Amino acid sequence: MAEDLKLERKDQILAAKDLPTLPKVLDEVSRLVKDPDSSTEQIAKLIAMDQVLSAKVLKMVNSPIYGFPGRIGSIHHALVLLGFNVLRGVIVSTSVMDVMNQTMVGLWEHSVGCALASSTVARQCGLKDVEDISVAGLLHDLGKVVTSVQLPELKTGVEALVKTQDKSYLEAEKAVMGFGHDRVNAWLSDHWKLPPPIKEGMSYHHKPQLARLYPEVACCVHLGDFLVRVYEYGSGGDDNVPYLEPEALKKLKLKPADLEAVLDELSEKFLDIADLSFT
Amino acid sequence: MNADACRLQRPQRVYLLSADAGLKDALSALWGDGHLEITHFERGRGAIEVLFNELPDLLIVDHDLPDMPGLDVVNLVKSENVYRQLPVILAIREESLDQGADWCSAEVDDILILPSSAARMKVRIFLTITRASRAFDANPLSKLPGNTSIIQRIQEMIDRREDFALAYADLDYFKSFNDKYGFSRGDEVLMMSARIIVNTIRGFTGVRSFVGHVGGDDFVFILPPDKIELACQRIVENFDSIVPHFYDEEDRARGFIQSTDREGNMRTFPLMAISIAVVLNVGGRLQHYGEASQIAMTLKKKAKENPKSCYVLDKRLS
Repeated sequence: MAEDLKLERKDQILAAKDLPTLPKVLDEVSRLVKDPDSSTEQIAKLIAMDQVLSAKVLKMVNSPIYGFPGRIGSIHHALVLLGFNVLRGVIVSTSVMDVMNQTMVGLWEHSVGCALASSTVARQCGLKDVEDISVAGLLHDLGKVVTSVQLPELKTGVEALVKTQDKSYLEAEKAVMGFGHDRVNAWLSDHWKLPPPIKEGMSYHHKPQLARLYPEVACCVHLGDFLVRVYEYGSGGDDNVPYLEPEALKKLKLKPADLEAVLDELSEKFLDIADLSFT
Repeated sequence: MNADACRLQRPQRVYLLSADAGLKDALSALWGDGHLEITHFERGRGAIEVLFNELPDLLIVDHDLPDMPGLDVVNLVKSENVYRQLPVILAIREESLDQGADWCSAEVDDILILPSSAARMKVRIFLTITRASRAFDANPLSKLPGNTSIIQRIQEMIDRREDFALAYADLDYFKSFNDKYGFSRGDEVLMMSARIIVNTIRGFTGVRSFVGHVGGDDFVFILPPDKIELACQRIVENFDSIVPHFYDEEDRARGFIQSTDREGNMRTFPLMAISIAVVLNVGGRLQHYGEASQIAMTLKKKAKENPKSCYVLDKRLS
Protein backbone atom coordinates (compact mmCIF):
# COMPACT_ATOMS: atom_id res chain seq x y z
CA MET A 1 0.00 0.00 0.00
CA ALA A 2 1.28 3.43 -0.89
CA GLU A 3 2.72 5.12 2.17
CA ASP A 4 1.03 8.45 1.46
CA LEU A 5 -2.40 6.81 1.24
CA LYS A 6 -1.78 5.22 4.62
CA LEU A 7 -0.76 8.60 6.03
CA GLU A 8 -3.86 10.21 4.62
CA ARG A 9 -6.04 7.57 6.28
CA LYS A 10 -4.15 8.01 9.54
CA ASP A 11 -4.88 11.74 9.43
CA GLN A 12 -8.54 11.07 8.72
CA ILE A 13 -8.75 8.68 11.65
CA LEU A 14 -6.98 11.02 14.06
CA ALA A 15 -9.26 13.86 12.99
CA ALA A 16 -12.12 12.11 14.84
CA LYS A 17 -13.96 14.89 16.66
CA ASP A 18 -17.21 13.54 17.99
CA LEU A 19 -17.26 9.83 18.55
CA PRO A 20 -20.85 8.70 19.04
CA THR A 21 -21.81 5.99 21.48
CA LEU A 22 -24.74 3.69 22.16
CA PRO A 23 -27.69 5.32 23.93
CA LYS A 24 -28.14 3.09 26.97
CA VAL A 25 -25.07 3.95 29.03
CA LEU A 26 -25.14 7.55 27.89
CA ASP A 27 -28.72 7.98 29.13
CA GLU A 28 -27.94 6.34 32.43
CA VAL A 29 -24.81 8.46 32.96
CA SER A 30 -26.74 11.66 32.15
CA ARG A 31 -29.31 10.67 34.75
CA LEU A 32 -26.66 10.02 37.41
CA VAL A 33 -24.79 13.22 36.64
CA LYS A 34 -27.98 15.22 37.23
CA ASP A 35 -28.65 13.49 40.54
CA PRO A 36 -26.85 15.38 43.34
CA ASP A 37 -26.70 12.22 45.46
CA SER A 38 -24.76 10.11 42.99
CA SER A 39 -21.12 9.44 43.72
CA THR A 40 -18.07 9.57 41.49
CA GLU A 41 -17.59 5.82 42.07
CA GLN A 42 -21.07 5.06 40.77
CA ILE A 43 -20.57 7.12 37.64
CA ALA A 44 -17.08 5.72 37.05
CA LYS A 45 -18.43 2.18 37.25
CA LEU A 46 -21.02 2.98 34.62
CA ILE A 47 -18.64 4.81 32.29
CA ALA A 48 -16.31 1.81 32.50
CA MET A 49 -19.03 -0.11 30.60
CA ASP A 50 -18.75 2.15 27.58
CA GLN A 51 -15.58 2.23 25.50
CA VAL A 52 -16.32 5.55 23.82
CA LEU A 53 -17.17 7.47 27.00
CA SER A 54 -14.16 5.94 28.73
CA ALA A 55 -11.89 6.91 25.86
CA LYS A 56 -13.28 10.44 25.92
CA VAL A 57 -12.66 11.10 29.61
CA LEU A 58 -9.17 9.56 29.48
CA LYS A 59 -8.28 11.58 26.39
CA MET A 60 -9.44 14.76 28.10
CA VAL A 61 -7.76 14.26 31.47
CA ASN A 62 -4.48 13.33 29.75
CA SER A 63 -4.53 16.36 27.47
CA PRO A 64 -1.75 18.91 28.13
CA ILE A 65 -4.37 21.47 29.20
CA TYR A 66 -4.72 19.72 32.53
CA GLY A 67 -0.97 19.60 32.97
CA PHE A 68 -0.22 15.91 33.57
CA PRO A 69 -0.38 14.12 30.18
CA GLY A 70 -0.06 10.34 30.13
CA ARG A 71 -0.50 9.91 33.90
CA ILE A 72 -4.12 8.91 34.36
CA GLY A 73 -5.37 5.46 33.34
CA SER A 74 -8.22 5.01 35.79
CA ILE A 75 -11.74 6.16 34.94
CA HIS A 76 -12.43 6.96 38.58
CA HIS A 77 -9.29 9.10 38.86
CA ALA A 78 -10.18 10.80 35.59
CA LEU A 79 -13.59 11.77 36.97
CA VAL A 80 -12.11 13.06 40.23
CA LEU A 81 -9.74 15.28 38.25
CA LEU A 82 -12.16 16.42 35.57
CA GLY A 83 -15.04 17.12 37.96
CA PHE A 84 -18.79 16.99 37.35
CA ASN A 85 -18.90 20.22 35.38
CA VAL A 86 -16.56 18.97 32.69
CA LEU A 87 -18.15 15.54 32.70
CA ARG A 88 -21.55 17.13 32.14
CA GLY A 89 -20.08 18.92 29.12
CA VAL A 90 -18.74 15.65 27.72
CA ILE A 91 -22.09 13.96 28.17
CA VAL A 92 -24.19 16.63 26.50
CA SER A 93 -21.83 16.89 23.55
CA THR A 94 -21.75 13.14 22.88
CA SER A 95 -24.08 12.03 20.14
CA VAL A 96 -25.80 8.70 19.84
CA MET A 97 -24.99 6.04 17.29
CA ASP A 98 -27.67 4.55 15.13
CA VAL A 99 -29.09 1.79 17.33
CA MET A 100 -29.94 -0.27 14.29
CA ASN A 101 -26.22 -0.75 13.97
CA GLN A 102 -26.11 -4.33 15.27
CA THR A 103 -22.39 -4.84 14.65
CA MET A 104 -21.66 -1.98 17.03
CA VAL A 105 -23.87 -3.48 19.74
CA GLY A 106 -21.91 -6.71 19.44
CA LEU A 107 -18.64 -4.82 19.62
CA TRP A 108 -19.71 -2.98 22.78
CA GLU A 109 -20.55 -6.25 24.49
CA HIS A 110 -17.33 -7.80 23.29
CA SER A 111 -15.36 -4.86 24.73
CA VAL A 112 -16.99 -4.94 28.16
CA GLY A 113 -16.50 -8.70 28.20
CA CYS A 114 -12.85 -8.31 27.30
CA ALA A 115 -12.36 -5.75 30.11
CA LEU A 116 -13.89 -8.21 32.53
CA ALA A 117 -11.87 -11.18 31.27
CA SER A 118 -8.56 -9.25 31.11
CA SER A 119 -8.90 -7.99 34.66
CA THR A 120 -9.88 -11.45 35.92
CA VAL A 121 -6.71 -12.84 34.36
CA ALA A 122 -4.67 -10.00 35.86
CA ARG A 123 -6.03 -10.69 39.35
CA GLN A 124 -5.35 -14.40 38.97
CA CYS A 125 -1.74 -13.56 38.07
CA GLY A 126 -1.47 -11.29 41.11
CA LEU A 127 -0.66 -8.23 39.01
CA LYS A 128 -0.91 -4.71 40.38
CA ASP A 129 -2.75 -1.98 38.48
CA VAL A 130 -5.61 -4.26 37.53
CA GLU A 131 -7.61 -1.21 36.53
CA ASP A 132 -5.10 -0.24 33.81
CA ILE A 133 -5.49 -3.73 32.39
CA SER A 134 -9.26 -3.56 32.57
CA VAL A 135 -9.24 -0.22 30.73
CA ALA A 136 -6.85 -1.56 28.08
CA GLY A 137 -9.21 -4.52 27.64
CA LEU A 138 -12.19 -2.22 27.29
CA LEU A 139 -10.42 -0.10 24.66
CA HIS A 140 -8.69 -2.94 22.78
CA ASP A 141 -11.02 -2.63 19.77
CA LEU A 142 -11.52 1.14 19.91
CA GLY A 143 -9.60 1.38 16.62
CA LYS A 144 -12.45 -0.50 14.95
CA VAL A 145 -14.99 2.02 16.24
CA VAL A 146 -13.00 5.09 15.24
CA THR A 147 -12.22 3.67 11.83
CA SER A 148 -15.84 2.84 11.10
CA VAL A 149 -16.90 6.35 12.15
CA GLN A 150 -14.18 8.13 10.19
CA LEU A 151 -13.86 5.81 7.19
CA PRO A 152 -17.28 4.12 6.89
CA GLU A 153 -16.81 2.97 3.29
CA LEU A 154 -13.66 1.04 4.25
CA LYS A 155 -15.50 -0.59 7.12
CA THR A 156 -18.11 -1.90 4.71
CA GLY A 157 -15.30 -3.38 2.61
CA VAL A 158 -13.75 -5.05 5.64
CA GLU A 159 -17.05 -6.57 6.70
CA ALA A 160 -17.71 -7.87 3.20
CA LEU A 161 -14.31 -9.54 3.12
CA VAL A 162 -14.90 -11.17 6.52
CA LYS A 163 -18.18 -12.58 5.24
CA THR A 164 -17.11 -13.78 1.80
CA GLN A 165 -13.58 -15.02 2.42
CA ASP A 166 -13.82 -16.22 6.00
CA LYS A 167 -10.96 -13.99 7.05
CA SER A 168 -10.48 -12.68 10.57
CA TYR A 169 -11.41 -9.03 11.03
CA LEU A 170 -7.75 -8.11 11.49
CA GLU A 171 -6.70 -9.86 8.27
CA ALA A 172 -9.55 -8.20 6.39
CA GLU A 173 -8.58 -4.78 7.74
CA LYS A 174 -5.02 -5.29 6.58
CA ALA A 175 -6.20 -6.39 3.15
CA VAL A 176 -8.60 -3.47 2.69
CA MET A 177 -6.84 -0.62 4.51
CA GLY A 178 -3.21 -1.67 4.72
CA PHE A 179 -3.23 -1.63 8.52
CA GLY A 180 -5.23 -3.17 11.34
CA HIS A 181 -7.09 -1.74 14.34
CA ASP A 182 -4.08 -2.53 16.53
CA ARG A 183 -2.13 0.05 14.54
CA VAL A 184 -5.02 2.50 14.79
CA ASN A 185 -4.98 1.95 18.56
CA ALA A 186 -1.31 2.89 18.68
CA TRP A 187 -1.97 6.09 16.71
CA LEU A 188 -4.92 7.02 18.89
CA SER A 189 -3.16 6.40 22.19
CA ASP A 190 -0.16 8.47 21.09
CA HIS A 191 -2.36 11.24 19.79
CA TRP A 192 -4.48 11.28 22.95
CA LYS A 193 -1.49 10.83 25.28
CA LEU A 194 -2.93 7.81 27.04
CA PRO A 195 -0.64 6.22 29.66
CA PRO A 196 1.97 3.78 28.26
CA PRO A 197 0.52 0.58 29.87
CA ILE A 198 -2.86 1.24 28.25
CA LYS A 199 -1.22 2.03 24.93
CA GLU A 200 0.68 -1.26 24.95
CA GLY A 201 -2.36 -3.29 25.89
CA MET A 202 -4.37 -1.68 23.09
CA SER A 203 -1.65 -1.90 20.44
CA TYR A 204 -0.22 -5.36 21.13
CA HIS A 205 -3.24 -7.46 22.03
CA HIS A 206 -2.83 -9.45 18.81
CA LYS A 207 0.93 -9.98 19.24
CA PRO A 208 1.63 -9.71 22.97
CA GLN A 209 5.03 -11.36 22.55
CA LEU A 210 6.26 -8.15 20.88
CA ALA A 211 5.24 -5.75 23.66
CA ARG A 212 8.35 -4.17 25.14
CA LEU A 213 7.41 -2.01 28.10
CA TYR A 214 4.31 -3.60 29.60
CA PRO A 215 4.17 -7.14 28.20
CA GLU A 216 1.96 -8.29 31.09
CA VAL A 217 -0.75 -5.81 30.10
CA ALA A 218 -0.66 -6.93 26.45
CA CYS A 219 -0.72 -10.61 27.50
CA CYS A 220 -3.71 -10.15 29.81
CA VAL A 221 -5.68 -8.31 27.11
CA HIS A 222 -4.71 -10.95 24.54
CA LEU A 223 -5.98 -13.66 26.84
CA GLY A 224 -9.06 -11.63 27.73
CA ASP A 225 -9.90 -11.18 24.04
CA PHE A 226 -9.49 -14.93 23.54
CA LEU A 227 -11.66 -15.84 26.52
CA VAL A 228 -14.54 -13.50 25.71
CA ARG A 229 -14.66 -15.07 22.26
CA VAL A 230 -14.65 -18.55 23.78
CA TYR A 231 -17.69 -17.54 25.86
CA GLU A 232 -19.24 -15.99 22.74
CA TYR A 233 -20.19 -12.85 24.60
CA GLY A 234 -20.73 -10.05 22.07
CA SER A 235 -18.83 -10.03 18.82
CA GLY A 236 -15.47 -8.67 17.69
CA GLY A 237 -16.64 -8.51 14.07
CA ASP A 238 -15.95 -12.06 12.96
CA ASP A 239 -16.65 -15.55 14.28
CA ASN A 240 -13.27 -17.08 13.62
CA VAL A 241 -11.70 -19.36 16.15
CA PRO A 242 -9.31 -17.01 17.87
CA TYR A 243 -5.62 -17.70 18.07
CA LEU A 244 -4.06 -18.06 21.49
CA GLU A 245 -0.41 -17.06 21.62
CA PRO A 246 1.39 -19.61 23.85
CA GLU A 247 4.00 -16.96 24.76
CA ALA A 248 1.27 -15.02 26.57
CA LEU A 249 0.55 -17.87 28.97
CA LYS A 250 4.25 -18.38 29.52
CA LYS A 251 4.91 -14.70 30.22
CA LEU A 252 2.06 -14.56 32.71
CA LYS A 253 3.29 -17.85 34.27
CA LEU A 254 -0.24 -19.21 34.03
CA LYS A 255 -0.54 -22.92 34.63
CA PRO A 256 -3.52 -24.93 33.35
CA ALA A 257 -4.92 -25.04 36.89
CA ASP A 258 -4.82 -21.23 37.10
CA LEU A 259 -6.57 -20.96 33.80
CA GLU A 260 -9.30 -23.26 35.07
CA ALA A 261 -9.85 -20.96 38.03
CA VAL A 262 -10.14 -18.03 35.62
CA LEU A 263 -12.65 -19.91 33.49
CA ASP A 264 -14.78 -20.80 36.50
CA GLU A 265 -14.80 -17.24 37.73
CA LEU A 266 -15.64 -15.91 34.29
CA SER A 267 -18.55 -18.30 33.79
CA GLU A 268 -20.22 -16.68 36.77
CA LYS A 269 -19.33 -13.15 35.79
CA PHE A 270 -20.57 -13.54 32.25
CA LEU A 271 -23.85 -14.85 33.62
CA ASP A 272 -24.08 -11.71 35.74
CA ILE A 273 -23.64 -9.36 32.81
CA ALA A 274 -25.60 -11.48 30.31
CA ASP A 275 -28.76 -9.43 30.80
CA LEU A 276 -26.92 -6.16 30.33
CA SER A 277 -28.32 -4.51 27.27
CA PHE A 278 -26.70 -1.75 25.30
CA THR A 279 -29.67 -0.56 23.33
CA MET B 1 -28.39 51.06 34.64
CA ASN B 2 -28.95 48.77 37.60
CA ALA B 3 -27.55 50.45 40.72
CA ASP B 4 -25.68 47.32 41.78
CA ALA B 5 -24.13 46.66 38.41
CA CYS B 6 -20.38 47.21 38.32
CA ARG B 7 -20.18 47.63 42.09
CA LEU B 8 -16.56 48.21 43.11
CA GLN B 9 -15.30 46.15 46.04
CA ARG B 10 -13.36 49.10 47.42
CA PRO B 11 -12.56 52.68 46.38
CA GLN B 12 -10.16 52.78 43.43
CA ARG B 13 -7.38 55.33 43.03
CA VAL B 14 -7.29 56.60 39.48
CA TYR B 15 -4.75 58.89 37.87
CA LEU B 16 -6.18 60.75 34.93
CA LEU B 17 -3.76 62.38 32.50
CA SER B 18 -5.75 64.66 30.21
CA ALA B 19 -6.15 68.32 29.35
CA ASP B 20 -9.86 67.65 28.96
CA ALA B 21 -11.53 68.87 32.17
CA GLY B 22 -14.87 67.52 30.98
CA LEU B 23 -13.46 63.98 31.08
CA LYS B 24 -12.58 64.40 34.76
CA ASP B 25 -16.11 65.51 35.60
CA ALA B 26 -17.60 62.66 33.62
CA LEU B 27 -15.43 60.11 35.46
CA SER B 28 -16.22 61.52 38.89
CA ALA B 29 -19.93 61.25 38.20
CA LEU B 30 -19.80 57.55 37.21
CA TRP B 31 -19.95 55.94 40.65
CA GLY B 32 -20.81 58.93 42.81
CA ASP B 33 -18.94 59.96 45.92
CA GLY B 34 -15.66 58.42 46.87
CA HIS B 35 -15.71 55.30 44.72
CA LEU B 36 -13.15 56.63 42.31
CA GLU B 37 -10.48 58.77 43.93
CA ILE B 38 -9.37 60.70 40.90
CA THR B 39 -6.10 62.59 40.76
CA HIS B 40 -6.14 64.78 37.72
CA PHE B 41 -2.98 65.83 35.81
CA GLU B 42 -3.34 68.13 32.85
CA ARG B 43 0.13 67.43 31.52
CA GLY B 44 2.11 64.21 31.10
CA ARG B 45 5.51 65.25 32.44
CA GLY B 46 4.43 66.27 35.91
CA ALA B 47 2.45 63.08 36.35
CA ILE B 48 5.26 60.66 35.64
CA GLU B 49 7.27 61.27 38.77
CA VAL B 50 4.19 61.10 40.98
CA LEU B 51 3.22 57.88 39.27
CA PHE B 52 6.62 56.28 39.78
CA ASN B 53 6.48 57.05 43.48
CA GLU B 54 2.96 55.94 44.13
CA LEU B 55 1.03 53.62 41.89
CA PRO B 56 -2.73 54.08 41.56
CA ASP B 57 -5.15 51.21 40.85
CA LEU B 58 -5.81 52.47 37.34
CA LEU B 59 -4.18 54.91 34.94
CA ILE B 60 -6.19 56.69 32.28
CA VAL B 61 -4.08 58.49 29.70
CA ASP B 62 -5.35 60.84 27.03
CA HIS B 63 -3.86 60.02 23.63
CA ASP B 64 -3.52 63.74 22.89
CA LEU B 65 -1.64 65.26 25.83
CA PRO B 66 -0.49 68.87 25.40
CA ASP B 67 3.19 68.16 26.14
CA MET B 68 3.91 64.63 24.92
CA PRO B 69 2.24 61.71 23.11
CA GLY B 70 0.01 59.73 25.46
CA LEU B 71 1.50 56.48 24.20
CA ASP B 72 4.95 57.57 25.40
CA VAL B 73 3.63 57.70 28.94
CA VAL B 74 2.12 54.26 28.52
CA ASN B 75 5.38 52.83 27.20
CA LEU B 76 7.32 54.33 30.05
CA VAL B 77 5.10 52.59 32.59
CA LYS B 78 4.84 49.29 30.77
CA SER B 79 8.55 48.89 30.10
CA GLU B 80 9.39 48.63 33.80
CA ASN B 81 8.68 45.29 35.43
CA VAL B 82 7.70 46.88 38.74
CA TYR B 83 5.08 49.15 37.17
CA ARG B 84 3.70 47.14 34.31
CA GLN B 85 0.97 45.35 36.25
CA LEU B 86 -0.78 48.74 36.50
CA PRO B 87 -3.81 48.64 34.19
CA VAL B 88 -3.80 51.45 31.64
CA ILE B 89 -6.71 52.78 29.60
CA LEU B 90 -5.98 55.03 26.65
CA ALA B 91 -8.62 57.70 25.98
CA ILE B 92 -8.68 58.43 22.28
CA ARG B 93 -10.84 60.22 19.76
CA GLU B 94 -12.22 58.42 16.72
CA GLU B 95 -10.19 60.66 14.36
CA SER B 96 -6.93 59.72 16.06
CA LEU B 97 -7.81 56.05 15.79
CA ASP B 98 -7.89 56.40 12.03
CA GLN B 99 -4.35 57.72 11.96
CA GLY B 100 -3.22 54.44 13.42
CA ALA B 101 -0.86 53.87 16.28
CA ASP B 102 1.72 51.26 17.04
CA TRP B 103 -0.64 49.17 19.16
CA CYS B 104 1.75 46.25 19.24
CA SER B 105 4.45 48.08 21.12
CA ALA B 106 2.04 49.98 23.35
CA GLU B 107 0.85 47.65 26.08
CA VAL B 108 -2.44 49.44 26.57
CA ASP B 109 -4.98 47.34 28.47
CA ASP B 110 -8.07 48.95 27.01
CA ILE B 111 -9.30 52.06 25.21
CA LEU B 112 -12.08 54.56 25.71
CA ILE B 113 -13.35 56.21 22.56
CA LEU B 114 -14.19 59.87 23.20
CA PRO B 115 -16.82 61.08 23.44
CA SER B 116 -18.36 58.14 25.24
CA SER B 117 -21.65 57.54 27.03
CA ALA B 118 -21.48 57.30 30.82
CA ALA B 119 -22.77 53.71 30.85
CA ARG B 120 -20.17 52.59 28.35
CA MET B 121 -17.37 54.34 30.22
CA LYS B 122 -18.43 52.78 33.50
CA VAL B 123 -18.46 49.23 32.16
CA ARG B 124 -15.11 49.65 30.44
CA ILE B 125 -13.43 50.95 33.57
CA PHE B 126 -15.01 48.31 35.78
CA LEU B 127 -13.97 45.46 33.50
CA THR B 128 -10.43 46.77 33.21
CA ILE B 129 -10.06 46.97 36.98
CA THR B 130 -11.48 43.49 37.64
CA ARG B 131 -9.58 41.90 34.78
CA ALA B 132 -6.35 43.34 36.08
CA SER B 133 -6.90 42.00 39.58
CA ARG B 134 -7.75 38.55 38.22
CA ALA B 135 -4.82 38.36 35.88
CA PHE B 136 -2.34 39.87 38.30
CA ASP B 137 -3.21 37.71 41.25
CA ALA B 138 -3.79 34.35 39.58
CA ASN B 139 -1.21 31.69 40.27
CA PRO B 140 0.76 31.35 37.04
CA LEU B 141 0.64 27.56 37.12
CA SER B 142 -2.83 26.64 38.36
CA LYS B 143 -4.53 29.95 37.47
CA LEU B 144 -6.26 29.78 40.85
CA PRO B 145 -6.62 33.06 42.82
CA GLY B 146 -3.41 34.00 44.64
CA ASN B 147 -2.46 35.67 47.90
CA THR B 148 -4.14 39.03 47.44
CA SER B 149 -7.50 37.43 46.65
CA ILE B 150 -7.08 34.89 49.44
CA ILE B 151 -6.40 37.52 52.09
CA GLN B 152 -9.17 39.72 50.76
CA ARG B 153 -11.68 36.89 50.86
CA ILE B 154 -10.76 35.82 54.39
CA GLN B 155 -10.85 39.38 55.73
CA GLU B 156 -14.19 39.96 54.02
CA MET B 157 -15.72 36.92 55.72
CA ILE B 158 -14.24 37.91 59.08
CA ASP B 159 -15.63 41.42 58.73
CA ARG B 160 -19.07 40.07 57.93
CA ARG B 161 -18.84 37.83 61.03
CA GLU B 162 -19.64 34.86 58.85
CA ASP B 163 -18.94 31.35 60.18
CA PHE B 164 -16.40 29.55 58.05
CA ALA B 165 -13.71 26.89 58.06
CA LEU B 166 -10.39 27.86 56.53
CA ALA B 167 -8.11 25.03 55.44
CA TYR B 168 -4.42 25.22 54.59
CA ALA B 169 -3.18 22.26 52.59
CA ASP B 170 0.36 21.41 51.59
CA LEU B 171 2.28 18.40 50.34
CA ASP B 172 4.76 16.40 52.41
CA TYR B 173 7.97 15.33 50.62
CA PHE B 174 7.20 17.52 47.63
CA LYS B 175 10.68 18.96 47.71
CA SER B 176 12.38 15.58 47.51
CA PHE B 177 10.09 14.60 44.63
CA ASN B 178 11.03 17.80 42.81
CA ASP B 179 14.72 17.22 43.49
CA LYS B 180 14.61 13.74 42.09
CA TYR B 181 12.23 14.15 39.12
CA GLY B 182 12.72 17.81 38.20
CA PHE B 183 10.39 20.77 38.48
CA SER B 184 8.22 19.99 35.48
CA ARG B 185 7.22 16.65 37.04
CA GLY B 186 6.66 18.62 40.25
CA ASP B 187 4.32 20.97 38.40
CA GLU B 188 2.30 17.97 37.24
CA VAL B 189 1.70 17.04 40.86
CA LEU B 190 0.68 20.61 41.74
CA MET B 191 -1.78 20.73 38.84
CA MET B 192 -3.22 17.40 39.94
CA SER B 193 -3.54 18.56 43.57
CA ALA B 194 -5.24 21.78 42.48
CA ARG B 195 -7.75 19.80 40.45
CA ILE B 196 -8.56 17.44 43.33
CA ILE B 197 -9.12 20.32 45.74
CA VAL B 198 -11.19 22.38 43.30
CA ASN B 199 -13.47 19.49 42.34
CA THR B 200 -13.92 18.29 45.91
CA ILE B 201 -14.87 21.78 47.10
CA ARG B 202 -17.13 22.39 44.13
CA GLY B 203 -18.85 19.10 44.94
CA PHE B 204 -20.51 20.92 47.85
CA THR B 205 -23.21 22.81 46.03
CA GLY B 206 -25.24 25.70 47.34
CA VAL B 207 -22.65 26.91 49.84
CA ARG B 208 -20.12 29.72 49.78
CA SER B 209 -16.72 28.26 49.05
CA PHE B 210 -13.32 29.34 47.82
CA VAL B 211 -10.08 27.76 46.61
CA GLY B 212 -6.80 29.63 46.33
CA HIS B 213 -3.20 28.78 45.53
CA VAL B 214 -0.73 30.54 47.82
CA GLY B 215 2.17 29.31 45.71
CA GLY B 216 4.34 26.24 45.42
CA ASP B 217 2.67 23.34 47.18
CA ASP B 218 0.52 25.55 49.45
CA PHE B 219 -3.22 25.71 48.85
CA VAL B 220 -6.11 27.29 50.75
CA PHE B 221 -9.79 26.46 50.73
CA ILE B 222 -12.86 27.75 52.54
CA LEU B 223 -16.14 25.96 53.28
CA PRO B 224 -18.87 26.20 55.91
CA PRO B 225 -17.70 24.53 59.18
CA ASP B 226 -20.14 21.61 58.90
CA LYS B 227 -18.76 20.55 55.51
CA ILE B 228 -15.06 20.81 56.14
CA GLU B 229 -14.31 17.42 57.67
CA LEU B 230 -15.94 15.49 54.83
CA ALA B 231 -14.05 17.65 52.32
CA CYS B 232 -10.73 16.90 54.04
CA GLN B 233 -11.48 13.17 54.05
CA ARG B 234 -12.28 13.19 50.34
CA ILE B 235 -9.20 15.19 49.43
CA VAL B 236 -6.92 12.90 51.45
CA GLU B 237 -8.49 9.79 49.95
CA ASN B 238 -8.29 11.02 46.35
CA PHE B 239 -4.79 12.39 46.72
CA ASP B 240 -3.45 9.16 48.21
CA SER B 241 -4.98 7.06 45.48
CA ILE B 242 -3.82 9.23 42.58
CA VAL B 243 -0.36 10.47 43.59
CA PRO B 244 1.48 7.11 43.18
CA HIS B 245 0.83 7.34 39.43
CA PHE B 246 3.06 10.40 39.25
CA TYR B 247 6.12 8.33 40.23
CA ASP B 248 8.16 6.06 37.98
CA GLU B 249 7.10 2.48 38.21
CA GLU B 250 10.06 1.24 40.28
CA ASP B 251 9.63 3.97 42.88
CA ARG B 252 5.92 3.34 43.06
CA ALA B 253 6.51 -0.37 43.57
CA ARG B 254 9.09 0.33 46.30
CA GLY B 255 6.87 2.91 47.97
CA PHE B 256 9.67 5.39 48.54
CA ILE B 257 12.26 7.39 46.62
CA GLN B 258 15.93 8.11 47.10
CA SER B 259 16.95 11.71 46.94
CA THR B 260 19.29 14.15 48.68
CA ASP B 261 18.11 15.99 51.78
CA ARG B 262 18.75 19.65 52.69
CA GLU B 263 22.24 18.76 53.93
CA GLY B 264 23.09 16.98 50.70
CA ASN B 265 22.95 13.44 52.12
CA MET B 266 21.37 10.58 50.23
CA ARG B 267 18.16 9.60 52.00
CA THR B 268 14.96 7.75 51.36
CA PHE B 269 11.67 9.64 51.38
CA PRO B 270 8.13 8.26 51.50
CA LEU B 271 5.68 8.96 48.70
CA MET B 272 4.06 12.39 48.90
CA ALA B 273 1.15 12.96 51.26
CA ILE B 274 -1.19 15.87 51.81
CA SER B 275 -1.47 17.66 55.19
CA ILE B 276 -4.42 19.90 55.93
CA ALA B 277 -4.80 22.29 58.87
CA VAL B 278 -8.27 23.72 59.47
CA VAL B 279 -9.05 26.90 61.41
CA LEU B 280 -12.68 27.42 62.40
CA ASN B 281 -14.12 30.87 62.68
CA VAL B 282 -17.35 30.43 64.61
CA GLY B 283 -19.25 33.23 66.35
CA GLY B 284 -16.86 35.91 65.18
CA ARG B 285 -13.88 34.68 67.19
CA LEU B 286 -11.33 35.91 64.65
CA GLN B 287 -10.70 39.62 64.19
CA HIS B 288 -8.02 39.59 61.59
CA TYR B 289 -6.65 37.50 58.77
CA GLY B 290 -3.28 37.26 60.54
CA GLU B 291 -4.80 35.36 63.46
CA ALA B 292 -6.19 32.74 61.11
CA SER B 293 -2.89 32.10 59.39
CA GLN B 294 -1.05 31.99 62.72
CA ILE B 295 -3.37 29.36 64.17
CA ALA B 296 -3.11 27.43 60.92
CA MET B 297 0.68 27.34 61.04
CA THR B 298 0.62 25.89 64.55
CA LEU B 299 -1.86 23.24 63.50
CA LYS B 300 0.14 22.43 60.41
CA LYS B 301 3.13 21.47 62.53
CA LYS B 302 0.87 18.99 64.23
CA ALA B 303 -0.39 17.62 60.92
CA LYS B 304 3.17 17.32 59.68
CA GLU B 305 4.15 15.03 62.56
CA ASN B 306 2.19 12.37 60.72
CA PRO B 307 4.10 11.27 57.57
CA LYS B 308 0.84 10.05 56.04
CA SER B 309 -1.87 12.26 54.60
CA CYS B 310 -4.00 13.73 57.36
CA TYR B 311 -5.99 16.70 58.54
CA VAL B 312 -6.10 18.51 61.86
CA LEU B 313 -9.15 20.51 62.93
CA ASP B 314 -8.77 23.41 65.32
CA LYS B 315 -11.24 22.45 68.02
CA ARG B 316 -10.54 25.32 70.39
CA LEU B 317 -13.62 27.43 71.11
CA SER B 318 -15.60 25.64 68.48
